[in-house]
Amino acid sequence: MSILTFIIGCPLIAALALVFVPRNFRVVLRAAAVFATFSSALLAIIMFVRFAANTSGYQFDQQVAWVPSLGISYHVGVDGINVGLVLMGALVAFAAACVSREIKDREKEFYILLLVMTGGILGAFASLDLFMFYFFHELALVPTFIMIGVWGRGEQKNYATFQITLYLSIGALIVLAGLIALYLQSGANTFDIPKLTDYLRSPEHRLSLKSQHVLFPLFLFGFGILVSLWPFHSWAPMGYAAAPSPTAMLHAGVLKKFGLYGLIRIALPLLPDAAQCWMPILAWLCLGNLVYCGWVAMRQKDFNWLAGYSSVAHMGFIFLGIANLSLIGVTGAVLVMIAHGFLAALTFGLSGYIYQQTGTLQLNQLGGLLRKLPFIGGALMMAGFAGCGLPGFANFAGEISVFFGAWKVFPLITILGCWGALIIGAVYMLRALRSMLHGPLPEKWAAATLSDATHLWRRTPFLLLLGCLLLFGFAPRLLTNRIAPSVEPIVASFSPAQPEGSAAPGVTEILRGETPRLTAWNGSSGLEKAPTLVAHTALHTP
Amino acid sequence: MNTLPWLILLLPLGAAAFITLFAQGNRKLSAGLSIAAVVAGFVLSLVFVSSNPWEPARESTFTWLAIGGFQVDFGLRFDALSLLMVLVVTGVAGVIHIYSWGYMKDDPGVSRYFACLSLFTFSMLGIVLASNFIELFIFWELVGVSSYLLIGFWFERPAAADAGKKAFLTNRLGDFGFLFGILMVWTIFGSLNFSALQEKLTLNPGILGGAATLIGLLLFCGAVGKSAQFPLHVWLPDAMEGPTPVSALIHAATMVAAGVYMLCRIFFLLNPPSLEVISWIGGFTAVLSAVIALQQDDIKRILAYSTLSQLGYMVMGVGLQDPTQAMFHLTTHAFFKALLFLGAGSVIIAMHHEQDIWKMGALRGKMPVTFWTFLAGTLALSAVWPFSGFFSKDAIIAQALSRQNYPLFVLGITVAGLTSFYMFRLVFVVFFGGEKSAPAGHAQESPQGMLWPLRILAAFSIIGGVIGIETVYGLRFPSGEAQHMLSGWEGVWQRLWMPFEHSPGAASVGLLAAAIGFLAAFALYWKAAADPLPTKLGALSRAMRDRFYFDEIYEALFIRPHDFLAAIAAWFDRWIIAGVAVRGTHGTTELLGRALRLVQTGNLQTHAIIFALGVAFLLYFALR
Repeated sequence: MSILTFIIGCPLIAALALVFVPRNFRVVLRAAAVFATFSSALLAIIMFVRFAANTSGYQFDQQVAWVPSLGISYHVGVDGINVGLVLMGALVAFAAACVSREIKDREKEFYILLLVMTGGILGAFASLDLFMFYFFHELALVPTFIMIGVWGRGEQKNYATFQITLYLSIGALIVLAGLIALYLQSGANTFDIPKLTDYLRSPEHRLSLKSQHVLFPLFLFGFGILVSLWPFHSWAPMGYAAAPSPTAMLHAGVLKKFGLYGLIRIALPLLPDAAQCWMPILAWLCLGNLVYCGWVAMRQKDFNWLAGYSSVAHMGFIFLGIANLSLIGVTGAVLVMIAHGFLAALTFGLSGYIYQQTGTLQLNQLGGLLRKLPFIGGALMMAGFAGCGLPGFANFAGEISVFFGAWKVFPLITILGCWGALIIGAVYMLRALRSMLHGPLPEKWAAATLSDATHLWRRTPFLLLLGCLLLFGFAPRLLTNRIAPSVEPIVASFSPAQPEGSAAPGVTEILRGETPRLTAWNGSSGLEKAPTLVAHTALHTP
Repeated sequence: MNTLPWLILLLPLGAAAFITLFAQGNRKLSAGLSIAAVVAGFVLSLVFVSSNPWEPARESTFTWLAIGGFQVDFGLRFDALSLLMVLVVTGVAGVIHIYSWGYMKDDPGVSRYFACLSLFTFSMLGIVLASNFIELFIFWELVGVSSYLLIGFWFERPAAADAGKKAFLTNRLGDFGFLFGILMVWTIFGSLNFSALQEKLTLNPGILGGAATLIGLLLFCGAVGKSAQFPLHVWLPDAMEGPTPVSALIHAATMVAAGVYMLCRIFFLLNPPSLEVISWIGGFTAVLSAVIALQQDDIKRILAYSTLSQLGYMVMGVGLQDPTQAMFHLTTHAFFKALLFLGAGSVIIAMHHEQDIWKMGALRGKMPVTFWTFLAGTLALSAVWPFSGFFSKDAIIAQALSRQNYPLFVLGITVAGLTSFYMFRLVFVVFFGGEKSAPAGHAQESPQGMLWPLRILAAFSIIGGVIGIETVYGLRFPSGEAQHMLSGWEGVWQRLWMPFEHSPGAASVGLLAAAIGFLAAFALYWKAAADPLPTKLGALSRAMRDRFYFDEIYEALFIRPHDFLAAIAAWFDRWIIAGVAVRGTHGTTELLGRALRLVQTGNLQTHAIIFALGVAFLLYFALR
């Protein structure tokens, strides 16, 4: 039995066990949820430490055949790409279970759903079988809808639930269509991801360009909807504003990364030719996230909406990293996925805490809270700094890698994206901190009793998430040493002959007035344009 | 040998972390840790410098991030430039830390204050010791955030909170260009390490090609933000909202020095056209801020604009291809500007936090130590021989003359005159004349804990020009005409007279300008009860007082349009994407559902009719 099975199993078994616990045993309910997620987190840390870095290939894998005729099996395993995601997911789930004390009614159902969601998330990231991969994602998605609908807050709760349910279901449905089509088209008669990858990457089984071009948009936009790719993002801020904070933490932090993970794990390696054609379009769309959603965030009057738009904007980094298809960019994108998971969970956890104290997150009604809430306010400031890409936090390492990767391929987009990251991101974050935490304390809050999470236990989730952000910010190699070797085979088919980091041609050559070499798409002149299909058919058809 | 510099760098970080985690609320422990960390850093740097040579450059590194060919080291680089700068930073910051305890000990947030102060020192030391561009950029950003935290230290005051935000965002604008400079350097060289870059550039001087000027200017953008050069100078005067020791730290040893330091660090990458631009930006900033300083009434704002003006000199020095003298001026300026700010802090405390110079007056007798040290700082800033500022400023002006850049020479001389004028205006109004308000009448000298820092800094402001600072920096930037300097007392004697032998014209004209400035100030402000200039200058004086409306212009040019774009995006998002597209889609679906529901009435006759119509329809096609 792989350690992964225990990581996934802990919350699911606990969920099952909670069904038999009477609903007035509140302490037991809560303790069981916290203990189960804690065990998962602990096991995930052990797995992460024991994971052999600097190697590619799957580790801790386990396969149990289920429906042999269709090639469906329970297959879990981690390589560098998902080992960090499983770790992040398990830690965030523990933090989410800790802050769930804000839930005061129907706790039994809430904790069961939370545990099912956790198990689903971890299962989705650990699965190496397309069927289970999809199944676990749905297992996590459905509790999300119920939790927002039942325990959500705000006037728009019902509409938000309605919208997020429909929107994400459509996204998942498109992905499902893509997966089934992929299964049928491949002719490999297996749902097993490693097998399918090996099969389709051998030259004789490579999917025809035509079918790739039909399949790839399904994945790009199906997964894109799940990740709030511009312009399919409007569910996110509204949904997160209405969700109870544990749900928002788990969804914005972890579950949302499923779509990005799917792109990297399935769409890029299995459909490489179509991917190359679509990437410039994706790069332009990511500006919609980075710049446009940043602007929209500047205008928000409610902190949760702002955090929602900010989280959508951060997805732009990851898309940009994926779009440039280089080792640096994709590794950076995975790094940002993990970093943003901790950050989004921290932000929504803190905003939920403040909401519990004040009953509002309207920016113009708050102010000067840092005096009353030094710990929570301080943590929120650090989250804000991490959000505007300050060094020392994990986000910086990922974002700078993304920019270094993207610069050679999409110089113009990188410049505009940097504007979104360095300037717009800082503007809305600092404005929000200014109006919530700084300035004079309004009389209303001066008189109110606000608790600053004085008990160490209540601070644990926030300290844990902050600690992770700082740990991976100070030592990003803990992650990149694991991620990069696994990304390498995926991007190998895209990389031009020249080694990364050497004096590659690009903008600077054009600036220098030299004729750029016209060999590789990655290289030079076709920078912003979609490459011609002819070139690729010539390259790839045997 | 390599553990010592790491210790120097990490001690302040350790202090900041320990205070934040464990010593919140313990005022004495916080202050003690913070002061001990920086003073220990200073002592250790002295030990390191005395047991190791200045040159050649050495490094101590480990890999921080490595993805394929993108490798970022985290390393410390020791050469004459960084080692002497470490001494200056730890020394001046140490004095300011000690002074801070006297100034801040009754503030409720004193632990937070010292934690931020330590973080600030750590970040600046990181910039100084950085061995590559990314590491420099990391500490560059950390300096930005430390300044945000300290300028906005009294966050309950809206002005302070806004000033912190403004400083951070203005710096970010500069960093935006800086980052692209770094990206371009990486694309061309495939490396970011300073030594490797210099090596590659020496081997292949033409490698930058046509991009050289652009790279130079983009990298300069970073310095424009951090060193508050025109057009990003607007944040520095607002930064006066922070506690006065913080202003001293920002203006002397840490933040604004970083930009000039960075330019000297990457001096080998700057080509003549970009240096030309740099020198003119520096010169223009110097003159612009000196003119604005003439009509400021807040004691700290006058000093703030004088910093801008002096930074202009330094940047001009770099642009005139003389980084040695730029660093020399940076160092002497660190002494006397720290001194002036701490002196101003002493005055402000005595005046119960009154900062308007026209409410002070006659403080000379009541605060003798503050007065005499402040006077020493003023003389140094006004470049009066033999105070330290004279030697460093003269060297830059002389450089302009020797490069036959007469416009910049005239500019430099003008600024020298203006500097002397506004500084003596300040001294006459604050320390001489009659008491202009009641608090000025019963002002008292500050405690010894605040006076000793003043005395130490005053000593260095006086002797800083002749103790061989420029000789050490010169080791890093050897120039063709390097003169042989004697050591010991003879060297001091030689340096004392050198400006008059080396470039007598620049030295004498500079002194003359200072004298004219002094006399003009004496004529106008000796025992003046109110400022006579506004009536004489009219609208010009108002423009100077309102800082030539740069804030308003930027508000209209940049902030408003950006907010407008944001408003459009928000409108579009709300009404088009979330409205028409999303609600529209589900609305249409719903409408369709409602329309179809009309068919399902449950009425037998209706069903029968539809059924019959259907049959007829099918039959028509089947039998046709």
